[in-house]
Amino acid sequence: MKRHFIGLSILMFFLSTLPVYAGAPLDTVQTNVNKVLDVLRDPKLKGESAKGIKKEKLEGIYEKMFDEVELSMRTLGGNWTKLNPAQQQEFIQLYRQILEKAYIDKILSYTNEKIVFSKENMLSNNQAEVQTKVITSSKEIPIFYKVILKDSTWEVYDVVVENVSLVQNYRSQFNSILAKNTPDQLLEILRKKVKEQ
Amino acid sequence: MIHMALRVFRPPPGSDDKHCHRTNVHSEQTEKVVRAMKSFLFPILLFAILAVGCAHSPSPTSSLAPSAASFQSQQVTVTTNSEQITLKSPEISVKSESESVDDKEDLDDVEDEVEEEEAKIADPLEPFNRAMFHFNDKLYFWVLKPVAQGYNKVVPEAPRVGVNNFFSNLRFPIRFVSCLFQADFSCMATELGRFAVNTIWGVGGLLDPASSKQLNIPKKEADLGQTLGVYGLGQGFYIVWPILGPYSARDSIGIVGDYFLYPVSYITPWYDWLAVRGYEEVNATSLRIGDYESLKEAAIDPYVALRDAYVQYRQKMVEAARGKPTPPKPGGVGLGEATK
Repeated sequence: MKRHFIGLSILMFFLSTLPVYAGAPLDTVQTNVNKVLDVLRDPKLKGESAKGIKKEKLEGIYEKMFDEVELSMRTLGGNWTKLNPAQQQEFIQLYRQILEKAYIDKILSYTNEKIVFSKENMLSNNQAEVQTKVITSSKEIPIFYKVILKDSTWEVYDVVVENVSLVQNYRSQFNSILAKNTPDQLLEILRKKVKEQ
Repeated sequence: MIHMALRVFRPPPGSDDKHCHRTNVHSEQTEKVVRAMKSFLFPILLFAILAVGCAHSPSPTSSLAPSAASFQSQQVTVTTNSEQITLKSPEISVKSESESVDDKEDLDDVEDEVEEEEAKIADPLEPFNRAMFHFNDKLYFWVLKPVAQGYNKVVPEAPRVGVNNFFSNLRFPIRFVSCLFQADFSCMATELGRFAVNTIWGVGGLLDPASSKQLNIPKKEADLGQTLGVYGLGQGFYIVWPILGPYSARDSIGIVGDYFLYPVSYITPWYDWLAVRGYEEVNATSLRIGDYESLKEAAIDPYVALRDAYVQYRQKMVEAARGKPTPPKPGGVGLGEATK
C-alpha cells in the first residue's frame, strides 16, 4: 500500500511538471482574448465615433491571434489544391475579410459578458483545444479555440461555438459551391459577398 | 436511570394477560404505521439518495467527459492518419513535382484533419428543403421576430429568463426518460435532482437554483432523437419541416416521442395548447434575437450553413452522450486539472 503511494506521488511529480509546457496554449488564447476585452472596455473608445478605431485595433489582434493560411487550408480541405497559388492568396484575403466583417460587429456588441477559461486539451504535440465559456445574463455559450504551434506561438486555426466548428461550417458551404462551380466562380461569389457587407 | 424507568413500567403481577394483549394490539398498530411509513419513506429515501448522488456526480463527469471525448477523437486521428498515409502516398509523389516541400507537408496534415470528424448528412430532398428554409426564414423575419421584439420591449429580461426556465423545467420528463433509455444513471439522478430543487425552491421552475454556484448541477441536454443516436442509429437524411425547422430523419422520430413526454402537449382544447406553445416560442426567441441573423450574415450559403450547424450540433450531442461510459485517461485528466 505504502509503495503504491510512493509510486503515485512520483507519478504525480512527473505529471505536475508537464503543465509548464502545456499551459502555453491556454495562456496565449487568454492573453489575446483579454486584449480584445481591453479594447472593448477602453473608456476612451466610447461612442459611435470610436468604432472605427476599435475595429482597427481588433483587426490587429485578429491577425496575431489567427493563422489565416492554416484556417484557409483547413476550410477548403481537399479542394485547396484545386486553386492555383494566386487564387489561394486571394482566397485567404477574401475569407479573412468575410470573417472579420461577420464577427467584428458581433464582438463590438458585447459589453458585460464574462469569459471563463476552463481548460485545455492537447490534441497532439503541436495542436491543442482551449475551452472557454462566455457567460451572459441569460445563457452560457461554450467556445473552444483550436490552436496550432507555429514559429513558437500558438495560433488559432478553428473556433468551435456551441459544438459547431467554424471551419467545418464554411467547408460544407465551399464544398457545395465547388461541387458545381470552378474556383474562379467561387472567388467571384466571395468578392460579391465582401462588397455586400 | 434506564433500569429505574423499566422497573416503574413493569406491570403488576395480576394484570399480566390483559397487558400482554394490549401490547400486542399496540405493536400491531405500530407495525402498520411503520409499514405505511416505510412505503411512504422509501421513495423519499430513494429520492434523497439520488439527489445526494447527483449533487456529487456532475463535477467529475463534466470534467471527465470532454477529456474522454478528446481521447476518442485522438484515436480517430491516429487511425485515419495511418490509412491516409497508405492511401495518399502515390498521389503525393505525383504532386511533389509541382509543389514545394513545405506546402505538401502542410497539406498532408490538413487533409488528415479534414477527414477526421466530418459531420455530413444526405440531402435528397434539397429542393423541398430549400423551399421550406425560405418559408421558415420569412416566418421568422415577418412574424416571429417582430412579435418577439414587441414582447421584448414590454417584458424585461429577468422575467423572460424565468419563463424560459419554467418551460425548460416542464421538459424534465423528456430529459429524464431519455437518460433512462440511455441507461445513464448519473444523468437521471442529475435531472431528477434538478427538477426537485427547481420546482420546490425555484418557485415552480421559474428560477434555476440548481445551476447556481452553490449547487452547481448543470442541465443535461437529452432527448429521444439523441437516444436513438446513442443506440447507433444514423441521422438519415436532412429535412426542413415548415415552422419546426431543421431536423434529421432520426430526430424527426425523436420529436414525436418528445411530444408525448412534454406535459404541455396534453393541454386541451387544441387552441389553448397552441397559445401556450406559441408563447413559449416567442419567449425563447426574444432571448436569442440576433443569433439567426448573425449566422445568416456570416454565411455564404445560409441554407448549407444552417444544415451543417444542425448536423454538427446533433452529432456532438450524441458523441458526448456515448463518450460518457468510457473510462477517462488519467494523464489527460491530470493535464486538464492541473492547468486550471
